[in-house]
Amino acid sequence: MKRRSFFSWGTAGLVALCSAISVSLGAVVRFLTPSVFYEPPQSFKIGNPADFSFGPPTFLAEEKIFVFRDREKGFAVANAVCTHLGCTVGYFQSDQRFHCPCHGSVFNAEGVVQYGPAPRPLEWFEVTLTRDGQLKVDKDQAVPASYRLMVS
Amino acid sequence: MMNPLRDAWQSIVRRDPLSTDKGKSELVFLNVWLHIHPAKVKKDNLKVKHTFYLGFITFFLFLILVTTGVALMFYYRPHPPQAYQDMKDLQFVVYLGSFLRNMHRWSAHGMVICVFLHMCRVFYTGSYKRPRQFNWVIGVVLFLLTLGLSFTGYLLPWDQLAYWAITVGTNIGSYAPLVGARVRELLLGGHTVGESALLRFYVLHVAVLPAVMTLLTMVHFWRVRKDGGLSRPVWKLKPEKAARLVTIGASDTIAPLTAVPASKDKTYGLMEVVTGKPIFETVSMEEEEDTVFSYPYAFFREGVALLATVATVMAVSMFWKAPLEELANPAKTPNPAKAPWYFLGLQELVSHSALLGGVVVPALAVLALILIPYVDLNPSRRPADRKWAIRAFTLFVVVNVVLIVVGTLFRGPGWAWVPPWVHITGAE
Repeated sequence: MKRRSFFSWGTAGLVALCSAISVSLGAVVRFLTPSVFYEPPQSFKIGNPADFSFGPPTFLAEEKIFVFRDREKGFAVANAVCTHLGCTVGYFQSDQRFHCPCHGSVFNAEGVVQYGPAPRPLEWFEVTLTRDGQLKVDKDQAVPASYRLMVS
Repeated sequence: MMNPLRDAWQSIVRRDPLSTDKGKSELVFLNVWLHIHPAKVKKDNLKVKHTFYLGFITFFLFLILVTTGVALMFYYRPHPPQAYQDMKDLQFVVYLGSFLRNMHRWSAHGMVICVFLHMCRVFYTGSYKRPRQFNWVIGVVLFLLTLGLSFTGYLLPWDQLAYWAITVGTNIGSYAPLVGARVRELLLGGHTVGESALLRFYVLHVAVLPAVMTLLTMVHFWRVRKDGGLSRPVWKLKPEKAARLVTIGASDTIAPLTAVPASKDKTYGLMEVVTGKPIFETVSMEEEEDTVFSYPYAFFREGVALLATVATVMAVSMFWKAPLEELANPAKTPNPAKAPWYFLGLQELVSHSALLGGVVVPALAVLALILIPYVDLNPSRRPADRKWAIRAFTLFVVVNVVLIVVGTLFRGPGWAWVPPWVHITGAE
C-alpha cells in the first residue's frame, strides 16, 4: 500500500469510526429520552367558581397549585412548587406569605422572594373559564402576578 | 480408599502442602481468587496502625451490600406504590427481611464513611505520589460511585424521606448550566420524581453502578499490587528509597537501579526480557528479609477484618432499624425536608445558593481532589516536608464535617438554625 493511500484510507476510517461513535451516543441519549411522558396534563379543569371560597387560598394537592379568590379582583392561580429546589411551599394566613420547608425561602402574597435562596418569584398560571362554566388552569401559560380572572 | 480422595483434592487445589514454602506460594498464584495478593508481603504493611485496614473494610462492606442487596431484590418491585408495600413486607412479613434491610442500609452508610477515611489515610501518608497518581484518581471516582449508589438506593423505599431527598437532590443537578435540565430529565425519565424515575434509579442501583464499581475496584486493586503493594509507612522509608522509584522514559537525573544478584535458593520464572526501567517499586535483598508469606499472615488478618466487619454490621442491624417513613406524598413536603446525611453539607451550601453551592463548589472540590497528585509534585512523603498540603487537606476535611454536622443537627423546620438541644413543639 502506498503511503498516500494509507493516509487517505486511514483518515476515512477514522472519520467513519468517529461518526459511528457519535451516532451511537446520540442514539443512546435518544433511547433514554422517553417519547411519551406518563405525567399529569399541564392543562386541566379545577371545578366551578362557586367551589372556591373567598379569603385564604385553596390548596389543590394533586395539582400543586393555590387558587386565590378575591371578592373584588377575582381568581388567580399560583404554583406551589418552590423555584429553588422543587419543594411544595405552604401559604400561611397569619403573615400572608408562602414558606418553603426545605431551605427556608419566603415569598410574599405576590410570590416575590423576600428571604432565602429561591432565585425567582413563584409562578402564576393562566386561569380561564370554559364553556361549561368551569375554571381551567394551564401550567404552560405563565402570567404576571397581577393577572386576575373576574367571574361575575 | 484414601488415595482417590487425596487425588480428587489434589486435582482441585493443585499445589504442594502448605507446610512448604512452595505450597504457600502456589496457594496464592495458582488460585484465581487469591492471586491478586503477592506470595509474600512486607511485614509493615500488615500492621493495623499503618492503614487501619480501611480499604479492606470498604471492600468487605461492598461485599455485604451486594449480598444483602441481591437478597432484598427477591422481594422488591420497583414501581409505586408496590415498592413501598414491599418495604412494609420486608419490615413485618419477610423472614429476616428487616434485618437484611438494616444490614444493607448501615453497610451503605459505613461504606461512605470508610471510603472517606481511606482517602484521608492515603492523603496523610502521601501514598498518592508517583507512581500511584492515577490510582488516586480511580479512588476518587470510586468515592463518587459510592455516593451515586447511596443516592440511587435512597429513592427505592418510596417513602416521604426518599421522595423528597431525591426531589431536592435532582433539582440541584438541574442548576448545572446548559445540560442541567436535560440531565435531570434523562435521570428521572420525566419532569418530576415518578414511576419512571423509580425504575431508572433501580436499574442504575442494581445493575449499572455496581458493574462499574466492580470493574474499577478490580483496576484499583490491580494497581496497588503492581505498585508494589501498599505504600510503606513513611518512617520505614530509607532516604535513598525515593531515588529507586523509576519510571519508564524518566529523565537521566534519576539514579539507575542497582543490579541485585539472583539468590541461589530461589526459583525465578522468566517471562520475557525487554529493555527499559521498571515503573514499580523494586525490592532489594535486604528488604526481602522484611517480608512474610501471605499465607497465613496476610490472609489471617484479612479474615479477621472481614469477620469483624460482618459482625459489627450484624450487631448494629440488630439494635438499630433503618428508617422508613410514610408513603411518598408529592403534595406534602415534610418540614424540614433533608437529603441523606452525606449530602447535607451540600444541602447546607445549597440553602445559601443553588448554583454556587450545588454545582460550582462541589464540581471544583471534585476537580481539586482529582488533581491533587498532579499538582502536589513534592516527592517527599514525610509530614514535615508537606505542611501546606496537609493543612489544605485538613481544612477540606474539617469544612466537610462541619457542613454535614450543621446540616444534620443544627437545621430545623424551614432550614432555620435550631440547635439539637432545643425542642420545637408543633413543628410541621
